[in-house]
Amino acid sequence: MKRYLFVISRSPYRSSHAMEQLEAAMVAAVFDGQVSILFRDEGVWNLQENQSGEASQQKTLSKVLAALPSYEIEDLYACQDSLVTRQVQMDKALTVKTLSLAEQSELIAASDAVVTGQP
Amino acid sequence: MKYALAVHGAPYATQAAVHALSFAEAALDQGHTIERIFFFHEGVYQGLNGQIPPQDTFNQNLLKRWQALAERNVELALCIASAIKRGVLDEAEQGRYEQDHPTLAPGFELVGLGQLVAAINSADRYLEFPA
Repeated sequence: MKRYLFVISRSPYRSSHAMEQLEAAMVAAVFDGQVSILFRDEGVWNLQENQSGEASQQKTLSKVLAALPSYEIEDLYACQDSLVTRQVQMDKALTVKTLSLAEQSELIAASDAVVTGQP
Repeated sequence: MKYALAVHGAPYATQAAVHALSFAEAALDQGHTIERIFFFHEGVYQGLNGQIPPQDTFNQNLLKRWQALAERNVELALCIASAIKRGVLDEAEQGRYEQDHPTLAPGFELVGLGQLVAAINSADRYLEFPA
């Protein structure tokens, strides 16, 4: 069983990056991969509370994230620096562990495959 | 060593193809194995038939280089969801959606996203060439 790390580094709704990363992550989980997701840079906006994808005819990203445990994806991580700089208020329905830069390096080193997707 | 590669950039727009091709050609020359190259997102345009690059010094025919890899038994696999929404269709999808012509270049095939995961699972290393 391989350890997959999907990195989401772009904000929701302006591109399909986050949604397509999540779709690939779900496929990896279905194939028995051990899947973690790291939100960093503009990607931390995916965790913001009170999102409405409907306003721009898209799925609401935070709701998709809240459904990940039913795909056996429970390891969600966020870059502490990225959250603080942007003052993101995290959706309370999500369980996300915040990581320092050093801890993110460790997470990447401990993964077999790091998938960054199309930025 | 067994490699799985993924290409995310469109041809002539990003360096994704040139980097991936150069890596793949060098790896094969040195006796490594590349089971599958997976084209994802705008990378699926690499498999669009009928590309005519301008003939200046730095441009090269990327499609021909990909097809040369296919002749060396490298599987060129386009994510089917990424491909058909961008109009890159094999004969089956062209028929299914009643379009005039298939647009997929010879040497490429359309596969599910699961084939990316399967390639990563069976490879020693996974390399991604982003847009």
